[in-house]
Amino acid sequence: MSDWQNSPPAEDWTIDELMIARLAACFADGDQACNGMASFVPVSAFWLARLTHAPDLVWLAGAVGLEPRPDRVPASTLEAPLWRDSIMYVEQYGDFWTIALNGRWLTKFCVGSAQLDRYGNGNNSIIGADYHAPRVRLPGTAGLGDMGSIGKALYYWNPNHNPRSLVEQVDFISCAGYLGGGTERADAGLEGGPELVITNLCVMDFHPETRHMQVASLHPGVTFEQVQEATGFELPTPEGQLSTTAIPTVEQVRLIREVIDPDDMRRREFGG
Amino acid sequence: MSAEKLTTLEDAAALVRDGDTVAIQNMATQAAPMALVRELIRQGRRELGVVCLVGGIPVDWLAAAGAINRLIGAAVSMEQFGLCQRYRKAVEAGAIRVEELSETALNARLGAGARNLPFLPTRGLIGTDLIDVNDNLVMLDDPFGGPSVVACKALVPDVALVHAHKADRFGNIGYEPTALWPDLGIMPKAATTVIVTVEEIVDSEVLRADPDRTVLPGFMVDAVVEAPFGAHPTSFYPRYGYDTAMHLEWIGSARDDEAVAGFMEKYVTGPADHAAYLEAVGGSERLAAVEAWEAS
Repeated sequence: MSDWQNSPPAEDWTIDELMIARLAACFADGDQACNGMASFVPVSAFWLARLTHAPDLVWLAGAVGLEPRPDRVPASTLEAPLWRDSIMYVEQYGDFWTIALNGRWLTKFCVGSAQLDRYGNGNNSIIGADYHAPRVRLPGTAGLGDMGSIGKALYYWNPNHNPRSLVEQVDFISCAGYLGGGTERADAGLEGGPELVITNLCVMDFHPETRHMQVASLHPGVTFEQVQEATGFELPTPEGQLSTTAIPTVEQVRLIREVIDPDDMRRREFGG
Repeated sequence: MSAEKLTTLEDAAALVRDGDTVAIQNMATQAAPMALVRELIRQGRRELGVVCLVGGIPVDWLAAAGAINRLIGAAVSMEQFGLCQRYRKAVEAGAIRVEELSETALNARLGAGARNLPFLPTRGLIGTDLIDVNDNLVMLDDPFGGPSVVACKALVPDVALVHAHKADRFGNIGYEPTALWPDLGIMPKAATTVIVTVEEIVDSEVLRADPDRTVLPGFMVDAVVEAPFGAHPTSFYPRYGYDTAMHLEWIGSARDDEAVAGFMEKYVTGPADHAAYLEAVGGSERLAAVEAWEAS
């Protein structure tokens, strides 16, 4: 176990490392976490949490491999090198979705979404006005269409904060957030919902009543105006001084670079 | 005495007819019955529907060949190799109609099909737009007074295509320790006809030594074919990893019609059979490289 508690803020941190450290802080001992495809930031965050403050965070790699011991973050987060040395393979049809639907386990879920709107609805289905004649066919909802509706706390990560990915209203809801805002999600009988949005510019959460997305903290060196400029809808003007997102520590940066992801797979998510 | 199920790739693929709905084992870059997919393309099958959890390169090749006009699935992506461009182009042109389901909704449709039920419910998808655009999903009041659920209509694919590690001549299918996806857990149980390719045909005694690793009983299987490296270029653990170079060659071609035609001729329609395909991709040297996935 490294001396992570007494480690000072890093000086040469990069944005991917800051996002990973911030997401890692959302996961604690006693939680279970799983990841899907192309999820380098969540995978690195779970791993970092396990190496520091949450050694007993349970990780289901690729929703398949329980407590794996991968060598490093591989090129795919949905292939066997990630779930090397697992203590159990969780069969997906019978076991994984039973675990996820039960309600006691996997209460938090990380979501990557091509479009995300002001009420935290996600879209990985289509761009355009007509589902059956889309301008752009996106990959599809996969597990998100489930995770948004079954009471999970959703943590969106977005390495490319821009007006195309953060939009006023998604073209199509393929992951249920707070729907039209206010009490709409609760009125639809849905529990849980979007908790945080961690981007390359800031951290955002949702107003407890309106459920509108709002800036919770700015990353070092980023202004509210820059965030507004990069966002496709009007953000509520912050009341008072916004806090600054914590800088990752020397030890967190070392663990990410040397132990978790020496091949820099996490950087593939950035600049898209 | 059990019925003999061992046959050739040609005869097995001939069980699939034009217009059939075909469930294909696949998870992005994993475990697709590629030898069967290539044979269906070689035989010129048309108007197929595909059912998949997360479809990857087999969906893109079938789309490139003009063999499919509909897809029922949760996602289509080759993960690190990006979206399937031929599939995407065909969807955007209106040539492939997509019934997009969440994973629990797909599992529910197949589970109902497998168990001869009219539907099974899920709590997934509530609040999304995916229910409104799909006649096979209907909101349903809980008869016991709880919250509403989504009724997912039974789906019975005409055929399921599966790749496995081992089988005996009678179609009992053995799986080595690796991830188990619903395309093995439920798809073949829902489908009317089941075709399985395997890395090797073994004596039944081999399966009897590890009966807990037998995943499909012979009576459920209609045809079994020996096709070593039958999932290439997708991965098939623990035997081999996905072929990065071939996926890169495909995505380098996929946006250009002429390059696609050249690729398909070189690897899919050109080679006369599965053995010729394995030679075309580089033979034993290339195959040894994908077998060394643990070094990746």
